[in-house]
Amino acid sequence: MPAKTGRVVLALLRKELLVELRTLESVPGMSLFAVSTLVVFHFALARATVEGDLAAGVLWVTLLFAAMLGLNRLFVADAEQGGFDGFLLAAVDRSALLAAKALALLAYLLVLELVALPAFALLLLGPPLGPALPGLLAVLALADVGLALIGTLIAALAVRTRARDLLGPLLALPLLVPIVIGAARASSPLLSAGHAGAPAGRWLLLLALYDLVFGLIAYAVFDFLLED
Amino acid sequence: MNGRTLRTLSIATVAAMGVSLSLVFFYAPIELEEGLLQKIFYLHVPLAIVSLGGFVLGGIMAIAHLRTREARWDLRSYVTIHMSLIFGVAVLLTGSIWARGSWGHWWVWSEPTLVSFLIVMLLYATYQPLRFAIEDPERQARYASVFAIVAGAFVPLNFLAVRLATAYLHPRVLGGASGLPPSMELTFLVSLAATALLFATLCCYELTAKRTRMLLRARSRILGFQ
Amino acid sequence: MTLPVATALPENTGDGYVAAAYIVFFVILLIYVAIMALRLSHVQRDLRDLRARTQESTRDGTRQDAAGQPRAYDDQTREREPV
Repeated sequence: MPAKTGRVVLALLRKELLVELRTLESVPGMSLFAVSTLVVFHFALARATVEGDLAAGVLWVTLLFAAMLGLNRLFVADAEQGGFDGFLLAAVDRSALLAAKALALLAYLLVLELVALPAFALLLLGPPLGPALPGLLAVLALADVGLALIGTLIAALAVRTRARDLLGPLLALPLLVPIVIGAARASSPLLSAGHAGAPAGRWLLLLALYDLVFGLIAYAVFDFLLED
Repeated sequence: MNGRTLRTLSIATVAAMGVSLSLVFFYAPIELEEGLLQKIFYLHVPLAIVSLGGFVLGGIMAIAHLRTREARWDLRSYVTIHMSLIFGVAVLLTGSIWARGSWGHWWVWSEPTLVSFLIVMLLYATYQPLRFAIEDPERQARYASVFAIVAGAFVPLNFLAVRLATAYLHPRVLGGASGLPPSMELTFLVSLAATALLFATLCCYELTAKRTRMLLRARSRILGFQ
Repeated sequence: MTLPVATALPENTGDGYVAAAYIVFFVILLIYVAIMALRLSHVQRDLRDLRARTQESTRDGTRQDAAGQPRAYDDQTREREPV
């Protein structure tokens, strides 16, 4: 009797998080990379503080590239240690793996942001982060879902090819451009001096629509990646 | 597909392109603001539309491949995407020339078509490296189809997103294909049809060439050579 | 809103760019046709090659197929066609 998909997802997610907690392969690296990137930005832009459009840009580029690191590590253990075969032998809905891995990547991104946001506020952000936080959290939530979905799909696609570390980010970046557009344009008014209020609805709508469409597509094609 | 079909297609394509060029240079009136430069519109925009259509079509063929598992759908998908990439290079080059003529720069961020194309091309440029990075032919075809579907769905969404961003950042001064006087509209439609026909004909040639080579190799092997 | 149409030719130097754009397009097209012609010549050469080798071995009477069975050149072979 095949197990209920919800339970399977939770079980897989638990395994992912436990492994990550034990090996600390992804999250510390991503967080450190984000902080280093912020330092690089300071020198590259020759600025002590950034605000508005520039702040939004710096923040989202940093998060995006740190996410690429997480994407690269996502399926490596499965590919190298036969995790795929083990999963395929179980009588479960294969989309459960997609859901579990995407949720895990989402979790890593959230922890990453717990580190990166304060670092950003400390190192580079001009205006105070406090009042921007509620709006920013909404933007982060929507963008992170998109990052996690596309990241997981591309990671699964790239992991069993020859140049996996290169192909992953190369495939993912163009696909993530609309998310960067939505997230940066939405964050920009939040990070401006004399904090100008809520993000424009149309960018949040774009993010939500993008997340939805790619969620559906990922669900539809993921099975085909797991066949052997 | 036989030689006669190819010949008919070729003749039709050359005729259509001839008619289109005549209309562009002898029938369509000269536009007030841009002058003669506006004629590039009849070349650049149809190329863009056909190229994007090709990418989406490649995705649809990839769906057919995954559903039927027939290799010929994968071949069609591959050829269509490959051709769209070539047309896409033409789009970027003609768009760049148009930008240089209109705004004085070889690249402008204020043209959403051009910007969307850059992103789409950056994505599809990874199609062949992806295929070559997978050795098993069945898995290669399967993964390529997954990519073609994801990328094909991405194309319209990307257009939407870039258009939104561009409208926000650089309000568009020069219009596209809306509000055209009837003579220009006719010329545009004929150019579009000619470009689409060119695309289809070249794809047929490409498919025939590939199949011929495969058949030749298969026969060689069966006859005991190589 | 319709695009305004000029009644006289404006003194615009767009000609060069229009020519350049159309030339670029045709050059790409020509390059593609040239590549196709090259591939066609390769295929014709391989075909000639194949025909020559087949006739040669039929003459010798030593022609065999991959399984070692002698065969006539024009047999209808049931092969798995990939497309």
